[in-house]
Amino acid sequence: MKLYLGLLESSRPDQTRVFGAIDGKLLDLNPAYAACLKQSKNNHANAYELAAFAFPESIAAFLARGESSKKALDEVAAFARKNGAGDLSGPSGERVSYDAKEVRLLPPLLSPEKSFVIGFSDKARTEALPQAEIPTGYYKLPQTFVASGAPIVWPKFSEEVDADACLAIVIGKSGRRIPAERAWDHVAGVTLVIDITARDINKREGLTTNNLLGKNFPSSTCVGPAVLLPPSREEIEKMEVELSLDGTVKQKFALRDCVFTVEQIIARWSILGIKPGDWLAIGASMALAGDRLQNPAPLRIGSTIRCSAAAIGELSHQVVAAGGLR
Amino acid sequence: MKLVTFIHQKNEERIGAIDNLGRIADLHRAYGSYLREVESNPAGEQLAAIVLGRDMVEFLKRGDEALAAARNALDHIASHDVSGGIVFAREQVHLKSPVPRPGALVSAGKNFSDHVAEMASKKGPAAPVAFLKLPGSVIGPEDDIPYPPEVKNLDYEVELAIVIGKPCVDVSQDAALDYVAGYCAFNDISARDTIHGENKNGIHLMGKSFPGFAPMGPYLVTADEIPDPQNLKLKLSVNGETRQDSNLSYMIFKIRDMIAYWSQMGLNPGDVLTTGTPRGVAAGRKPDQAPWWLKPGDVVESEVENIGRLKNRIVRE
Repeated sequence: MKLYLGLLESSRPDQTRVFGAIDGKLLDLNPAYAACLKQSKNNHANAYELAAFAFPESIAAFLARGESSKKALDEVAAFARKNGAGDLSGPSGERVSYDAKEVRLLPPLLSPEKSFVIGFSDKARTEALPQAEIPTGYYKLPQTFVASGAPIVWPKFSEEVDADACLAIVIGKSGRRIPAERAWDHVAGVTLVIDITARDINKREGLTTNNLLGKNFPSSTCVGPAVLLPPSREEIEKMEVELSLDGTVKQKFALRDCVFTVEQIIARWSILGIKPGDWLAIGASMALAGDRLQNPAPLRIGSTIRCSAAAIGELSHQVVAAGGLR
Repeated sequence: MKLVTFIHQKNEERIGAIDNLGRIADLHRAYGSYLREVESNPAGEQLAAIVLGRDMVEFLKRGDEALAAARNALDHIASHDVSGGIVFAREQVHLKSPVPRPGALVSAGKNFSDHVAEMASKKGPAAPVAFLKLPGSVIGPEDDIPYPPEVKNLDYEVELAIVIGKPCVDVSQDAALDYVAGYCAFNDISARDTIHGENKNGIHLMGKSFPGFAPMGPYLVTADEIPDPQNLKLKLSVNGETRQDSNLSYMIFKIRDMIAYWSQMGLNPGDVLTTGTPRGVAAGRKPDQAPWWLKPGDVVESEVENIGRLKNRIVRE
C-alpha cells in the first residue's frame, strides 16, 4: 500500500496524519482503524487508543511500531476494501475518507537521522570513470526536503542547477552492522527522491573533497509522494524510475543499472546504525546513455521536472526564482 | 548565561542553566516556581514548558522571550529559598551536549593555515570549506567516545562550536554575529582511514560521523558573554600531553565569514557551525603519525578559553 503523510485543511502544521491509498481514496488511517476495531471486533472501550498507537503522527513512527502496526495496516486495508473506502467513517461518525486534492502532502519522511544519496553508482558512468570501490554517500539535510508539488527555488549563488532521480530504500527496522544477507529484513519500502544539485558549486566543492552547499539548500531534496510498502525485493529491483524535464525523458533506470546492490549499501551504511524512517537513495546520475558528465540536463526558471515510478507515483515540481516565478 | 542539557534521573533530558552559585538549575522547574510564586499561576510549570520549549533547539527557536524567561528564573532562585528538584550540584547530574541533536552540524575543514600546512595541502581554500557531520554523532562533554572496530586511525580536532540562534539566510559578514545564540567547545573526531577511502569519491561522511564523533559542551555560553569570539585560545591534550595549542585569531575564514557563507544554505536555530582546527592533529605528525592516533583508554581534553572543557575517554566498542 502507498502511505502518504499530510495535513488536512483544518489542521495545524503539527497535526500530521498518515493516509493510506485504497480504492482511489486517501484514508486517514488512525480513525479508520478505530472504526475497524469497533465494528469488526466489537471493541467499544479502547479503539481510539489502540488506533492512535498503531497509526501515530508520522510514517517513521508507524514503521517504528514494528509488526503490530503492520498487522493493523493489513486489518484496516481489508476492512476498507470490504466496506468500501469511500463510505467509511470513524467510530463516532468522523470523516476518514478524502480525495487526494483535499490533503496537503508533506515529504513522507520528515526528519530521518540518515538520509543519504549513494554517489558514483551508475554502471554506464563507470565506463568513462574509474569504478567506485565502496558505496560512498552524501547527506541531504532534512531541512532541504520538499513534498511533491512544492516549487524548487533557484539558489541565488548558482548559475548551473540540475536534477537527478533516485529510488530511496526506506528502512523499517533498526540495526547496526547488518550483514548483507540480512539486509532485506530491514527494508520497509521505497520512495522517490530528486536530488537537486548546484553543479557549479558542487564541482568547486569536489576539489576540496566535500559535498555541501551544492547539495544542501532550501528545496534541494524532493521526497515522495508516497512510501510504497511492503514491495517484494523482486519488485524493488525491477522498478523503473524515470526523470523528465519539460516533458522530455532525461533519465531512466532500475537498480540493476547500479554498481552496488541494496545488500552492499545497507551493509556499508548500517555501520553507523540505521532506524525506521531513514532512507538510502540510489541512482543519482544514472543517465540514459552515460553521458551525464558531459551533458547534464540543466534546469531553468520555469522548468517542470517530474520523477515517477509506476508503483510509487510521481513527484512534480516547477523551478522558480527566489521571490517567485520570474 | 551558561545553558546546559542534563539528565538527573529516569534518563529524561532537561534544559538548565548555571546559577550564581555554580549549581545547575532546571529551567522548567525554576521558571515554573517563579510563575507560581511571583505571578500566582498555580499551573506555572505547564506554562514554563510552553514558554521554554521541551529541548534546547525548541528553546533557541523561542528567541529572546525564552532567554528572558531563563534569566527571570535564575534571578528568582537567587533571591528565594527553592525546594528540591530545582537546583542540583554539578556531580548530581549527567551533562549532555547543550544541543543534543542539532538540525545541521557544519564543520569547517582547512581553516587554519598551520593545519593546512601540516596536512600537506598546497594552499588554503578560496572559499570556506566544510562538511556535514551527522547530528546523531553528538555526545556530551564527559561521555565516552566509542572506538569503532572498523577504524584504525582515530584522530582529534579541537574547535569552537557556534550555535545559531535565529533563522539565518544570506546574511552579511557585518550582521553575522547577531545570529549567534552562543558557543561551545567541540572535538571533531575523525577516522582518517575511513575518510581516506571516501575521499577517492570526493566525499567526507562516514569517517566524520560514527556515533560519538562529536563531543560538544559543556555549556552553551550565550553570545553576550563572549564579546570577541575570534580571539580565544584553543587547547587539546591527550592523557595530559598537550597536542594542540592555538588561538581562533589564526582562522583563515573568520567566524563572521563562515556564518555569512553558510547562511546561503539557510541556517536555523539549533544548527551548529564549527571553526575547523589548528595544527597538532595526529594525521599531521612528522615523521610518524602512529604515536598520536587515539587508542582505547586515552583521555582527550579539549578546551576553549572562556567557554569550557570537554573530557572524553576513548572506549573500545
